[in-house]
Amino acid sequence: MSTATYSIGIDLGTTNSALAFVALDDPSARVQLLDIPQHVTATSTEARPLLPSFTYLPPEDTGSTALVGLFARTQSADVPTRTIAAAKSWLCHTRVDRHQPILPWNAPAEVHKRSPVEVSALYLRHLVAAWNQQFPDTPFAHQHVTLTVPASFDASARDLTREAAASAGFPGDFVLLEEPQAALYAWLAARGDTWRKDLRVGDLILVCDIGGGTTDLTLIAVREQDGDLELARLAVGNHILVGGDNMDLALAFTAQHLFKEKGHDLDPWQSVSLWHACRAAKESLLAADGPASHPVTILGRGSRVIGGAISVDLTRDQVQATLGDGFFPACALSDKPAKRPTSGFKQLGLPYESDTAITRHLARFLTDHGDDGQPAARPTRLLFNGGVFKAAALKQRVRDSFRTWFGDDGVPAVLAGEEDLDFAVARGAAFYGQAKRQGGVRIRGGTARAYYIGIETAGLAVPGAPRPLHALCVVPHGMEEGTATSVPGEEIGLVVGEPVHFRFFSSATRTTDRPGDLLTRWADGELEETDPLEMSLAAAENAEGGYVPVTIETRITELGTLELWCASTVSAEKWKLEFSVREQE
Amino acid sequence: MSIGLAFSVFFKVLGNRDFAGRLTEWMARPAIPEPKAAAPKPDAPRRTEAIELLATLQREGRLVDFLQEKLDGYSDAQVGAAVRDIHRDCRATVQRLFGIEPLVAQAEGSTISLPATPDPGLWKLTGRVGQGSQGRLCHPGWKITRHDLPAWSGSDAAARVIAPADVEIT
Repeated sequence: MSTATYSIGIDLGTTNSALAFVALDDPSARVQLLDIPQHVTATSTEARPLLPSFTYLPPEDTGSTALVGLFARTQSADVPTRTIAAAKSWLCHTRVDRHQPILPWNAPAEVHKRSPVEVSALYLRHLVAAWNQQFPDTPFAHQHVTLTVPASFDASARDLTREAAASAGFPGDFVLLEEPQAALYAWLAARGDTWRKDLRVGDLILVCDIGGGTTDLTLIAVREQDGDLELARLAVGNHILVGGDNMDLALAFTAQHLFKEKGHDLDPWQSVSLWHACRAAKESLLAADGPASHPVTILGRGSRVIGGAISVDLTRDQVQATLGDGFFPACALSDKPAKRPTSGFKQLGLPYESDTAITRHLARFLTDHGDDGQPAARPTRLLFNGGVFKAAALKQRVRDSFRTWFGDDGVPAVLAGEEDLDFAVARGAAFYGQAKRQGGVRIRGGTARAYYIGIETAGLAVPGAPRPLHALCVVPHGMEEGTATSVPGEEIGLVVGEPVHFRFFSSATRTTDRPGDLLTRWADGELEETDPLEMSLAAAENAEGGYVPVTIETRITELGTLELWCASTVSAEKWKLEFSVREQE
Repeated sequence: MSIGLAFSVFFKVLGNRDFAGRLTEWMARPAIPEPKAAAPKPDAPRRTEAIELLATLQREGRLVDFLQEKLDGYSDAQVGAAVRDIHRDCRATVQRLFGIEPLVAQAEGSTISLPATPDPGLWKLTGRVGQGSQGRLCHPGWKITRHDLPAWSGSDAAARVIAPADVEIT
């Protein structure tokens, strides 16, 4: 939009959100963070740069509406049944209807629940209001806005994010950007033009982004284009639902056990202080020259703060064992994340990873993306992001894994410069918006995944057995924004007057399939099923014999949205397929 | 105070005839009705920044609990264990709200030059004051670089509350 004064970058995180901005017309302007006013208690508000992504739903009769931010995070321990956390992880959970009021999950009937899309919109609306309050002359809806999503979000989760943002008052032309790319943009912003000296043609950058709830991996190549360096995103990892919160929880569990040995049973209220104390202990013990042990103290809940205090010593070894071995164990490059057999009574809820070993997920990611006959991709540079890496020993664990896999000279060098682990994504997004407008450095890449429509084969039906499924590639990996392709191959007959459903799949690893390729078999885990596509043709529409022959056309818009169209082969008509995010069987 | 005053008046009356006379006159003055002021309104409960600061330090660092607790009967180790956390949290809070920094950048113990007319609010001078414009920096002082207290939106009844009563519904 031509009236925009600022580029705004928003990091809508699983546990924390942030907003950064930079003036568009001043190339020397620095990226700044917006202080976000939020409730810190029921009766006090304070402006902080981080907005915890938590929602507290007060009882109806109190007359207050949903509160987001710091107070809601505190309430998550005090009043768990009325607090919503990790709404973002629910957005990409295909087994539930994300438009239905299902959160807080398992809340009692008297709680007025909200849908994951609605909750995401609450956080975004809060950020928009904070902006409009502080910049009344340059309203949010007229700025150049970039919103980040995990690289592992598929087209459907991106659509839902877009929907939430639109309802929160975002401008119509806002852009989605992958979080690991945003982290790299933040590094580029901080380095200025020296980045061209930091990187060489042929470098392969691994962005290892561990947020509160997810681990997001991305490979970015440094290439040469017309004598200048160019960055291209090659691959992104699958959605890995393990992050910093799992680590703090694991550590709190260890500490809780130590308290129990001393005869103290902690109540849920104390667990908040325990998380808090454990996180502080973790950062101190795992610092580069950290102490051998650190006290973890829980102050009394009553007014007797000293008399009620209980304390245990957490040692460096215990933390190393819990976090290092639990989340970053030594493993072989050929190891795959373990799959735990699901029990018949699996509780519906977030599909947390059954294997929390991030190093094994990393090994799998690298072997999935080996190139030129190499068994695995070999990054030469490393960029860490996410609060988890405030603990220096965990970075070392990642580097140690590379030493095991590729030898002493196979350890990628960490990108130089100061880290900003909490705010890099928001800052990078704001910088990206500015660079895009001014023709600055861009990371190329197109779609991170290839997409497939499921086609049931015609053939003899076998009672009790589903018909074999084939997958038709409709979007290749790396399809660029602003391009369209029509899928060659046979026509598909669409029945009129009935809703049509297509099963829909994506793959982050099959990078060579072309549109029209029909897969009859694929390796386990290569294709991930996402939300189905649906469409309904009115019975009155021009059809002979009750069906319309169509071919599939796909389009990636300038804003990065994926669109699938059915184009009639007997007329000029086209119909758009929409994601169906309702609950699946 | 009043007993002291009574004694001093008593002895002054005894020893000072002039004072005794004036006091007699004063005590015999006609009772003049006070000008009828508008009935003083009770102070509306007001949330001051000071109360908000105390509430914040209590909420985030349990400072008021700590100050209100008697230390007798606790060992130094017990106090130490609790204080470490209280210190960490109060320090982080104060730092966030006020951004405290040393007033002057020079190291403690170094020689420092003073401006021509040092502002007593900025400089506390000791020793041979008025003789020379240099001295040894004994304490670099502190200043705030921010002032960002939480904003209050509670009821009048809660204006003077530092920490609400904590009740768990069972």
